[in-house]
Formats: sequence, C-alpha cells, structure tokens
Amino acid sequence: MTAATSAPARPRAPRVTRALPLGAWRLLRVELRRNAMPWMLPLVAALFWFDSYRPSTQTEPLYVVRTFWNMGQGHTIVDFAPFGAAVAAWMGSRDGRRGLADLVTTAARPRWVAQLATWAATAIWAVAAYLLFVGLMFAMYARQGVTGTPPWWWVAVGAAAVTALTAAGFAVGAFWPSRFAAPAAAFGAILVLLMSSQTGFHHGDGWAMILPTNSNGSFQNDSGISYPWLPDLPIARIMFLAGITAAVLGLTGLPARAGGPGLRRAAAAVVAAGLALAGTGVGLVSTARLTAEGMAIPALHDAADDAPIAYTPACGRAAGVPVCLNPAYGRWLPAITGALAPVLAEVAGLPGAPARAAQAATTYTGSSIEGGPPALSDGGPPQAAALAGQPPVLRLYLGMLNMPGPCGFCDGPVGGTQFAGQLRLLFAHAFVGAGSSPGSPVQQVVQATLLRGAGIPFAAQPRLMGSTDNFPSPSSKSALGPVFAAAGRLAALPAAARHAWLAAHLAALRAGRLTLRDLP
Amino acid sequence: MTTAGLHRPAPGSFPETAATRRRRAAAGWRRTRLYLVSRRVPTALVLLAGLGALLWAALRWRWNIAGGAAARQFIPLTVEAGAAALIAVTTYGPFGEPERAAGRWLPVLRLAAAVALTGIAFGLLAAGAAAAHISAAGAAPAGLPGGTIALLRNLGGMAGVGLLSAVALGGAFGWAGPMAYLVVTEAALAHGSVTPWVWPTRPPYDRGAAVCAGLVITAGLVLITVRGPREPGGDPGPA
Repeated sequence: MTAATSAPARPRAPRVTRALPLGAWRLLRVELRRNAMPWMLPLVAALFWFDSYRPSTQTEPLYVVRTFWNMGQGHTIVDFAPFGAAVAAWMGSRDGRRGLADLVTTAARPRWVAQLATWAATAIWAVAAYLLFVGLMFAMYARQGVTGTPPWWWVAVGAAAVTALTAAGFAVGAFWPSRFAAPAAAFGAILVLLMSSQTGFHHGDGWAMILPTNSNGSFQNDSGISYPWLPDLPIARIMFLAGITAAVLGLTGLPARAGGPGLRRAAAAVVAAGLALAGTGVGLVSTARLTAEGMAIPALHDAADDAPIAYTPACGRAAGVPVCLNPAYGRWLPAITGALAPVLAEVAGLPGAPARAAQAATTYTGSSIEGGPPALSDGGPPQAAALAGQPPVLRLYLGMLNMPGPCGFCDGPVGGTQFAGQLRLLFAHAFVGAGSSPGSPVQQVVQATLLRGAGIPFAAQPRLMGSTDNFPSPSSKSALGPVFAAAGRLAALPAAARHAWLAAHLAALRAGRLTLRDLP
Repeated sequence: MTTAGLHRPAPGSFPETAATRRRRAAAGWRRTRLYLVSRRVPTALVLLAGLGALLWAALRWRWNIAGGAAARQFIPLTVEAGAAALIAVTTYGPFGEPERAAGRWLPVLRLAAAVALTGIAFGLLAAGAAAAHISAAGAAPAGLPGGTIALLRNLGGMAGVGLLSAVALGGAFGWAGPMAYLVVTEAALAHGSVTPWVWPTRPPYDRGAAVCAGLVITAGLVLITVRGPREPGGDPGPA
C-alpha cells in the first residue's frame, strides 16, 4: 500500500461544526496575545484607585452612596474609556502605520473580519479589566461591610460604554493610520465624557439622560436598600451604546478594501441597524419620568421592579419604644435609639406619643415625581421624620439624612452629637405637627421646650436648625424673641404640669389653633 | 586600500571658506528638516493649531458649564493636556538604534524640538484665548481660568509629564501621561485637593505650583535630551 492509493479520490468539504470558524478563534487568540491594552492596565489601575475607589471610601458605607461618584457619575468610565479608546486607535491604525494595508487586503480573510478581530481583542481586554477592577472594588466594599445592593445594571452600562469607546477609537485608527490617532482618540473620549458629566449635572430629564455619566434620578436615597435599582434607564443607555458600537464598527467595513460587495453591504446594514438602535435608545430616554423609585421608562418598565425589597428589621428600644430599621442601616441603630431616647421620654404617656418608630423608604423627589415624598408636604421640603397612623408610628426617612461617620458630600464627617441633635429636632418638629413649615409660634415654643428637655439648650437651637438639611428654619438666628421667651416660661414649669398641659392641648397644638396667650 | 594612513587635518590647516560654511548650514538645515519630518512635526503643528481654534471656540461661545472649579477648567485643561500629548508623541523616532548610533546631533534636536513645540503650543493656545476676547465684541466670552500665566504653567508642566511618559513608556505612548494627569487633576478639583503637584488646582501666581510644574518640565526636557524616548524592541513603529 502506498500513500498514493490511500489518498481519497476527492477532497471532502470541511464540516462546519462551530458558529465561529476555528481560524477566527486562532486570529482572535493571536490578537489577544499581541494586544497593547495589557501594557496600559497598570496605569489605568492606578487611576481607578485614585479617582474611583479612594474618594468613595470617605462616604457612608451604603452602596447607593459609595457608588454615586464612581458608577453614577461615571468615573469608572472616565478612568478607563480614554485609554481603551486610545489603545484601540493604536491597534486599529497598525496595518496602515506599518504599510501593510495592501498586503493584508490580499490575504484570504477579508480585511474587515481581521480588523474586527483586532478590535474584539482590544475590547475584550478593556472590558475584562473593567469588570475585574469593579469586581475588586465591590469585594473591598463587602469586606468593609458596605450594605445595600450593588448597582449591577450600572456596571453593565460602564462595560457598554468602554466597549463603545474602544469601537470609536478603533474607527479613528482604522481611518487615520497615524501616530496621532491614539492621542486624538484619548482626547476625544475624555472631552466627550467630561462634557457628559458636566452636562449631566444640569439636566434631570430629556435627551441628556442618555449620557452615561449622568446620575440624575438614579443614585439617590434608598435605591438598592428599600427598593430595587430600576433597570429602565440602564437598558436604554446600553441600547444607545450598543448602537454606537455597531455603527462605528460597521463604518470600518464600508471602504472598498474592507472586503467583497456582500460584506460591504452587510457592513452598511450594521451601520443602519446601529444608528436605529442608538436612536431608539435616545427616544426611549426622552419618555423617562421620575417615579418614587427612580427614573422609569414606560416602554421598558416592569411593575415587578416597584416591589419593595423584603427584609427582617433590626430592632432596638429607645425609652421603652421599639425602634426598627432596615438592616442596611443596622450599624446606626445604637446611635438612633440613643438620639431618640431623651425626646421620647419627654413625651412618654401623652396621647399622641409614638407607640413605635420604624424606618420608611425614602423616595425620589422632583418636579415630575409620582408617589412622591412623605405626605407632610405643604409646599415646603419633605422632612426626615413624620408621625402617622393610629396608634401613632414615628416614620424615619433615614435616606434623607447624613448618617454619623464619614460623609463624602459634606464639609466633613458627621459627628454623633450633631446627628443626635438633628434627629431630636426632627422628632420634636414632627411631634408638634409643624410639617414642612417652620410651624406656628406655639408649635415652635413646644418644639424648643422639648429640645431643651432633651439636653439641647435654647442658645444652640437656631444653629442646629440651620445645619439640618431641608429643615424649614424660622428666620431667627439667635435664641431671642417672644418664642424663646415663652419657651423659657414653659420649660420653667414642673415636668408634671408641663406634661399635663401638653396632654390637654396636644390636638389643638397640632391643628395650629393655639396662640402664645394660650400657653401657661 | 585602507584608511590607516588617513589623518584628520590639523586645525587651521585648511581655513573654512564661505562655501564650506554654506554647505554646513545647508546640511544642518537638511538634518533639522528631516528630523522634524520624521517626527511628524508638521502634522503636530496643524493639530496644535486645531486645539488653539478649539479653545477659541470654547471660550468664544462659552462651552464651559457653570459650576465648580472642575467644571470651569475642564475644557482649557483638556485642551492643554491634548497639546502636551501631541508634543510627547512627536518624540517617537521611527529609526531606532541606527539613528541613535549615527546621529550625534540627536539629543540637541530632541531638546530643540520639545522646547520649540511647547513654545509654539503655548503661543497658539494663548492666541486662541486672546482671539476669543477680541472676537466676542462685547458678548463677554468665558475667561481663561487663571489667565495666560496659568496656561503657561499648566501647559509647561503637562508637557513635562508627557516627555517623562515618553521616556518611560515610549514616544508612541507618551500621550498616556498627560491624559492620566488630566484625570487626576479633574478628580483633585472636584474634591478640593490643592497639592502643588497638581498645579492646575492652585492659583496662577502660586509659587509652589510653579516650582512643581517647573521641576517636571525640566526633568522631562533633561531626560528626553539625554535618554530619548523608550524604544520598544522589534516594533517597526508608527508612521
């Protein structure tokens, strides 16, 4: 038997057993090995630590607060995308820079397919590194005891943005094979992202919501704690970014050297589909409206996402009154019970005193809100404490407060004494029924008296009111005037007499029917 | 025949004629021109002019968005970082080892090109900012934050970062330094950090910031002159 007789009479056609031919995998593997992106990752890692991770550790250990800067305002994207775009431009311009364009055009594989493999390798490196760095950051948060739910949808938006900017950078390099393609792509990416950030600060609705670094309507209050992160806006942004990716990659397949007529027609179809997808994304966000749980897009909204997150509350007692919080806020339970105990003791036994205190979900507020803030608004700002129900329950909207400890968006850390004073003030204000207004003079007198009984002297109260977010302060900046004079007289009464007067007049006090002459 | 018997003529034995001086000048000019062309300096000049025009348009039509320091400065700083990135990328040489072995004027050319490009970039950006004021005609353009002094300090310092980046990463990746520095600066501005090493966060006449920026540009110029940009082995390099 010889080799000649053992050869088949006709060569067999290769069987297609894979969605992507083996050759394409090999090409991708080679491109992954020869890619410049890994060399850029140490620098990106340093920037990621400095710009995204480090500032976030100075904020409250809640995911919604921790990730406001790095995910909501898109700093993870700002740290990554310019370098991904620049490296993609460098890789995209490779054949042109090296004078190989004619050579690779005559290769067996169409030039566009080879270019897509180069881009895919760059994008895989960039997106994999992005996900790795974000994963490490979340792992660090988990070790630090950060509570709530991570904003996974926003991680997906970041990955989509990195992909889109690598595609845009690649197209720059493919069409302009120059040493300046990489800095031009980095410059363009960083300009677009920073402009997007700055524009986002001033646009809470409309087209600007498509910008991947716009945090409006998405990163406030109790998202991921009391109710899920709404996926509507992230889905629309991913559609937009995927459309941009497809459109710019399709553009690289349009020149005559990219491939045969069929391939170029396919590239044109990809461009059209990408533009349609991006346009659909922009159209969808234009219909977004702010709801109690964040930005919702009617065409994408799933009512199941409005369901609150079930939890077993963390409970304690303050002056004998049960106080229950979302477990995400459990670390602050001692501070809250300690703050409430003196004021709850002041009102213990009164007919309108709260039977228990419970944390309530803080909802989004805005001009177009549905559902809205706590139902005590009479035109003023919503308050972080409210009494409701029968028997009365003290509802605490803790998402509106800066909790004790590090506070990245304040002048400095929030002290325990400062927080306790604010919580006592909010309780006293709710107890007298002043709502979102400064309250009637008599309500202000009783509020001041309750606070003094809880250990806050009159002289310290005006400053406390001024430093409490959203508190409807009276115009007085000092503890002088008829209100504080009357409060002094009321506070001078024996505790039993004061208690008896309050028991007799509480309903009228809350209704605002009393005048200063009615005080004892 | 060998060169063993050849000696350099003693100085003064052949007086330099006007023709020799002309030939030397022509050779020097040709050497300089070839160096600039090989570094794509003409393209860089066009792009720098484009950045000047961009700064003019941004100031003329007030693209800056109202807000804090990070918002007010981000377009001028991005333009300055872009100019520094271009200067850094021009340091890449396509010839590598042969050029270093044969070109004894190379360090001088590197230094002269970096200094000249930085000066031209400053002039073009300053002209863009000035043109915005002139063309505004009473429409009150946005001012360049910190004025021309801050522009000189910020651009000079960032160019130094770019040159250092070219020394460390290679001329083709010299852009990475200024871009990374821009991200750091924006973060520092947003968080109110005022270390002099992030000089754009300091007032224009701040001595510490000027010293830091000056040290960085000096270090960048010295290293790019003495060492040159890092040459990755086996890479044919950019066009």
